[in-house]
Amino acid sequence: MSTDIQTLKSLDLFAGLNFGELEQIAPLMHPMKVTEGEVLTRKGEIASTFFIILSGNFMLSFNEERSFTLHNKGNIIGLSTVVSPFRYTATAVALTDGLVLFMQGQEFLRLVQSNSALGDKIMRKINEIVLERMPYMTGTWEKRRY
Amino acid sequence: MENLLIEFLSNTGFALADYRNIIMILVGITIIYLGVAKQYEPLLLVPIGFGMLIGNIPVIKDFGLGIYESGSFLNYVYYGVTHDIYPPLIFLGIGALTDFSTMLARPVLMLLGAAAQIGIFTTFLGALAIGFPPNEAASIGIIGGADGPTAIFLTAMLAPRLIGPIAVAAYSYMALVPVIQPPIMRLLTTRKERLIRMEEPREVSKKEKIIFPIVGFLLCCFLAPAALPLLGMLFFGNLLKECVVVERLAKTARTSLIDIVTILLGVTVGASTQADVFLTRQSIGIFALGAFSFAIATAAGVIFAKIMNLFLRKKINPLIGAAGVSAVPNSARVVQMVGQKEDPTNFLLMHAMAPNISGVIGSAIAAAILWSFMSL
Amino acid sequence: MFGFEAIIAHDGLGISVIGISIVFVSLILLSFAVSRIHKLIELWDKKYTSYQRVKKTQQKDQKTPSVSDLAIPQDVQRASRQFKLLIEWIGEPFPLPKLLDLSGKCGLSRPHSTVNELLKCELIIPDENGYYVWNKQLEEKRSST
Repeated sequence: MSTDIQTLKSLDLFAGLNFGELEQIAPLMHPMKVTEGEVLTRKGEIASTFFIILSGNFMLSFNEERSFTLHNKGNIIGLSTVVSPFRYTATAVALTDGLVLFMQGQEFLRLVQSNSALGDKIMRKINEIVLERMPYMTGTWEKRRY
Repeated sequence: MENLLIEFLSNTGFALADYRNIIMILVGITIIYLGVAKQYEPLLLVPIGFGMLIGNIPVIKDFGLGIYESGSFLNYVYYGVTHDIYPPLIFLGIGALTDFSTMLARPVLMLLGAAAQIGIFTTFLGALAIGFPPNEAASIGIIGGADGPTAIFLTAMLAPRLIGPIAVAAYSYMALVPVIQPPIMRLLTTRKERLIRMEEPREVSKKEKIIFPIVGFLLCCFLAPAALPLLGMLFFGNLLKECVVVERLAKTARTSLIDIVTILLGVTVGASTQADVFLTRQSIGIFALGAFSFAIATAAGVIFAKIMNLFLRKKINPLIGAAGVSAVPNSARVVQMVGQKEDPTNFLLMHAMAPNISGVIGSAIAAAILWSFMSL
Repeated sequence: MFGFEAIIAHDGLGISVIGISIVFVSLILLSFAVSRIHKLIELWDKKYTSYQRVKKTQQKDQKTPSVSDLAIPQDVQRASRQFKLLIEWIGEPFPLPKLLDLSGKCGLSRPHSTVNELLKCELIIPDENGYYVWNKQLEEKRSST
């Protein structure tokens, strides 16, 4: 089952995209229910899927058990699917039941191939988030809640 | 009854197998592992790997089971490989999937796609030098194009008995793009060059996108008519995508059709690598030359980008030259990855797509030229 | 036949030089044609095509408000005591995954959602190093009210 365009439009990652672009993304994003305690990604595993939170609360834990929590619609899990090192850098656990959208990394590559400008726009936004989260991976710390 | 049992047992795979079957089965399992666990081109490596298992189960000769036995299921499906049916269909899907706008926005980047084809011809010379006949040397050289369907297309025409090793080498190197290319790219560029930011491409109008496949097809195929099956399908697929009015056809070409053909092609190419055909000294030579071809193609693209910078007012990041080897969109992604290691805010992906796509066109033309010369 | 002799015998050099030249000529011609297409379209239209700019409507997320409500549900209040004990045992600042792991091992019911409630109530707050601490100030404030 693919996602409706109104849902995509409400997400920060896709804000600013036109209807045609959202139409291309919609069939690639699939909704998935998650239950409390469910592990979405495991640190070190090959990153094959990324998730966008629609509802629910999640914890990402990095090296040395450093962690932060995600509570907002539009927050992203599994960024490494589309950026280096292509292995999950954090373990993501659902703290409550919730709903996420997921996209396979292979599908993202197809999207880049079929519309590289759109792929580029998404990559830029993803990169901003990666830079925000970088301290959690590298050891330079700031207080942050997403 | 005892005789029946003995006869049955003597016809099982266990009785018929020799060490070469076991080696090939292990190779097949390794390829499946690379596809599943490492996710190197899983859509290709998983069918090829399993095809290797299928092709290397020892069976009784003339029982109508083997891929090379006429009338067998595998032989029928393999017909699409040996008679060049699958590669053009895959090109149709690629055309219907690919956005040419970055290339249209900055056409000069197409030259990088041409430069990377130097690898093909250099390897052709290398293969001749080590004793391969010209038709086989041409088929080996095309591995450097990093385009599986093109490699199969040319090999089926020139050296059908080498389809197995050449296809496996081509797809393996395509899968290993993230491993092979980065060291060459870093070796040939300075940090300053890797930090070059590309200017934003102009927006390309819908009309341009519709006109391009028609102009591109006519121009390329008038120059190299032997490229007709591949480029004809590539540009036709792209016209389906861009003209919008036949979206149903475009969608079928870029999803169902390309997936079905990939399954058939992957499994049969894998199954064609039977031990007696594959485990030869020649195959080792093919793999070594294939790697050489791929490395030269990458290096040629990067070096040519540096040469272009001597003349261009707005410099280009030479890393994108490496994407000229086709392998869409993997090599473009590798360019992005290497570029971002130097500067996480530098986005080269979209720019790398231009040489990447022109590399597909370039390798198809190179294949057509080699085919024409070998047929003279 | 091997080496340069084989290359010469099969006219390898000729094939390679002509081959790569044709590839270059094809792509140069294609590149030239492509670079003219949009100019021709402009001429045809007698005006510059106006490109549609992508609207940048940055719609704000419907962000879930961070709850710092002092009214904590009864069951969370009960659980908070147990979690506080665990945190004291781990020591502060503590890693959140460790608290979850330990609470699971101790058999506390629904540790994930309880931790989430404690985070939302801000009884557990992040420090500046990716770890968490127990919000003593809030607890004192609560007990005083």
